Amino acid sequence: MSQSGSSQTEARVAGSALYGTYVVSLAVSMFGNLLIRIGAEAGFLSPWGMALVGVAASIPLVVAAVMFWRLLRRDLDEMLQRIVLEGFAFALIVYIPLTALYVNLRTAGVWVPRLDPPDLLMGPALLVAIGVALAHRRYQ
Amino acid sequence: MKNSLPQLRAERGWSQGDLAERLEVSRQTVNALERGKYDPSLPLAFKIAKLFDRSIETIFDANN
Repeated sequence: MSQSGSSQTEARVAGSALYGTYVVSLAVSMFGNLLIRIGAEAGFLSPWGMALVGVAASIPLVVAAVMFWRLLRRDLDEMLQRIVLEGFAFALIVYIPLTALYVNLRTAGVWVPRLDPPDLLMGPALLVAIGVALAHRRYQ
Repeated sequence: MKNSLPQLRAERGWSQGDLAERLEVSRQTVNALERGKYDPSLPLAFKIAKLFDRSIETIFDANN
């Protein structure tokens, strides 16, 4: 636990900055994925070029991950840490059976919507947001 | 867990924000503590007890 008053405002600002960074990072990652797919089809990117774009497009997400870790460890108090961690637990608990169901149905030949890498990236992010919102409600 | 935090805070004329500042937690955490929605960790419970100069069990009622 380590915040209140002005530091509470700082934590809020840090949270907003983190959210913004994460959204931009996700957008960059998705753009990189799109570029790789277009490059592969149009043939204007070599395999090395595609790999380079893939790595470069993921770097902002690593930065967001480091920012998140710092926010969680340094700026949030014990209850807010708990809310965030419960959000992640919810996401993991829901994501695994949903993914297993999706894979099994697809293997069985049942029609399921095609999921591209951007969808796979958005899924857990959306589940974490739902989990955090549910946990936040529980403590209010 | 039921507790006497709202009364103790009111006796001193502190707002939730004031108490949050003294405990180095967020105002949301103080609000959740007072409403019994969140049970504090042992270090935070000791901090609260020290701040109000009472024992933990006189502030928090473990039976509720």
